[in-house]
Amino acid sequence: MSVFTKGEVEREAGLVPALADLTERHREACLPYRRILDAIGARPPYERLVDLPWLPVRLFKTHELRSVPQEQVFRVLTSSGTTGQRPSRIHLDREAAAAQTRMLAATLRVVLGERRLPMLIVDSRAVVRDPTLSARGAGVLGMMNFGRDHTFVLDEQGRVDAEAVKRFLSRHGGERFLIFGFTFMVWLCLRDLGADLSQGVLIHSGGWKRLAEQAVDNAEFRRRLAAECGLSRIHNFYGMVEQIGTVFLEGPDGDGLYCPDFANVVIRDPETWQEAPPGVPGLIEVVSTLPTSYPGHVLLTEDLGVVRGVDDGAWPGKRFEVLGRLPQAEARGCSDTMGQG
Amino acid sequence: MLDETTVAATAADDGAVVRVRFPAGGDVPVEALLGRLRANALEVGDERVREFLAAFGRRLLRPAAARRHPELGSLGFFLRPSELSRTLESLSQEHVRVPRGLILHIPPANVDTVFVYSWALSALMGNRNIVRLSPRSGPVAEVITEMLHEVLAEADPVVGETQRIISYDRSQTSVTAALSAACDLRVIWGGDGTVRDVRRHPLPPHARDLVFPDRSSFAVIRAAAWLCAPRAARVAVAEGFVNDGYWFDQAACSSPRTVFWVGAERDCDAARADFTDHVSRVLTARGWGVDAAMAVEKRVSTYGLAADGLAESVEFRGNALANVTLAAAAAAPRRWLGAGTFAHARLGSLAELVPLVERRDQTMTHFGFGRPELEELARGLAGRGVDRMVPVGSALSFHRVWDGVDLPVEFTRLVTVIRQ
Repeated sequence: MSVFTKGEVEREAGLVPALADLTERHREACLPYRRILDAIGARPPYERLVDLPWLPVRLFKTHELRSVPQEQVFRVLTSSGTTGQRPSRIHLDREAAAAQTRMLAATLRVVLGERRLPMLIVDSRAVVRDPTLSARGAGVLGMMNFGRDHTFVLDEQGRVDAEAVKRFLSRHGGERFLIFGFTFMVWLCLRDLGADLSQGVLIHSGGWKRLAEQAVDNAEFRRRLAAECGLSRIHNFYGMVEQIGTVFLEGPDGDGLYCPDFANVVIRDPETWQEAPPGVPGLIEVVSTLPTSYPGHVLLTEDLGVVRGVDDGAWPGKRFEVLGRLPQAEARGCSDTMGQG
Repeated sequence: MLDETTVAATAADDGAVVRVRFPAGGDVPVEALLGRLRANALEVGDERVREFLAAFGRRLLRPAAARRHPELGSLGFFLRPSELSRTLESLSQEHVRVPRGLILHIPPANVDTVFVYSWALSALMGNRNIVRLSPRSGPVAEVITEMLHEVLAEADPVVGETQRIISYDRSQTSVTAALSAACDLRVIWGGDGTVRDVRRHPLPPHARDLVFPDRSSFAVIRAAAWLCAPRAARVAVAEGFVNDGYWFDQAACSSPRTVFWVGAERDCDAARADFTDHVSRVLTARGWGVDAAMAVEKRVSTYGLAADGLAESVEFRGNALANVTLAAAAAAPRRWLGAGTFAHARLGSLAELVPLVERRDQTMTHFGFGRPELEELARGLAGRGVDRMVPVGSALSFHRVWDGVDLPVEFTRLVTVIRQ
């Protein structure tokens, strides 16, 4: 059963009451969240998605926000904070943890199929063995659940291991297989392999910042991988630890990121905070019904994005693009001298 | 002798070279920089320096410059000949006053005009000065050094022989060490972290530090006075408040972060509502806005205050103005919350401020209070905090007495002369 089935109207009709319920549930169960809603005067009824109160995602770095008692916390996820910042801490109870795994699987099944596929990982085994697991390592480990016969493209020293890839392809190259990696690593490592990856399904994520520096956009990325490796099934995705289990997946035509049925995005004009119409960039707000153990169901990210179309692509609903990250606010005060000089 | 050579050699190994920005002189080893400064050339209130500063001030007040960078206008005003004379006349004549010697100034990287105030007063007092400007100093610092050069061309050569503005990367700690070891007074403006960093470098036994660490400021308004004030006066105060708050993105140490309203609850509510309308109108009229990053920053910080139970309500007038109603006056935040974020609390009387004030509180901007009650408050505070009580609109006006320190006095020494 696909989770990319609902058109925008039907999706919103289902999400608004579910998210409104979650808002009130978290208000009851999470004191800091309740204080925020009270302070900004947020109260039901919420008629539309855009009426729901959002939290800035960075609050999960500065505050402990959970809606379940400590003894019911099953897992605490942390993000890799950028330097000088504390990481986000996301508290999952057993139910939320199970739901996120289940829904992530359901989302990826749409492009991977029912069976676990042989898996090529564009990274080194070292990243998943590091005892202080990096976000990159955690991402790889998470995705490994969706594959079998895991083969790493890079050796322990981070060099491309062409032999390992050749052996993998001799075993599995004739059937459908999964390739996973971070966007920049994929760009760096796959093109020079000279291997036929035409049966592969590539899933990648991690952002375009470093590729943008090389003037490589998504279209160029897809074009070159198709031309040089025969890769035609390519799906980028967008997601964050603060909404674990929810991934916005690129459609088969590469025409944008699509929302699974239990999630959506609202692009907000950062001046008026109203919803920006399709084609007009703004801040990305992500909503999802998965965060039941912490108030992360309506989050304002610090990413800029734009809706490219609604109900007009391969899958129903909004399709959108992530344009990059908002810079950090800087003040010109007098409270630092040599510290910044 | 051997020691000095060793020090110089080590410094050279570290690449202890500084860029001399005034008078423009390229890259110079720090030892040579110190060696070339002419000693004992100036006296307190030296005519040649006064002429130089006054000429510089005139240039700053030229309409083109002051229009482009309003902070240069304030600086020019500060350097008028009459102001310089007033500064000199304010010094007690009981003793013979002499320059302190070599002064090292370490101003903030991000407020471009601070270094001029510090340096100009010190030069006026007849000192040799070395000002360390960040290599990342802003465009205004560039304009200032250009103007200084223009004025230098017509000035007495002694100015160029005794004054230096330099830049070096902060990773070159050996330069800070060498300059510290040579100076008679070290002036450190800026954050607590910088003060701690710079203090690691010893001074000569007779020398000392003048430090201006992290500070925070607030405003106090008597609600009844606001409500009774004529409209024009309220507009003027709102304009002044906007200058105080927004000029340096509210991050200047003297910019108010909390507004205390003094009076009965109903008066305070009414006054605050009207005040907010006025401030909002000024912001709109001036086209003040903040970018998306700052808008998000303000949401994060104010929602955070709410989550902590410190804020009862958070209201936004567009992105430019955020108002936080504090759950208690004692919760007044000292840290920066993003440009244009003001916390509000009510007090029954001015005296209720006393237990709330901390050592790091610097400037209290006020409206609606008489001098006697302000003086009474100052005595009541008894040094707990608050170094300046100035009307709303004057928070950023530099004065020779700053942070409770009389700078011209600090920049000089006294020789006691008692006749037989």
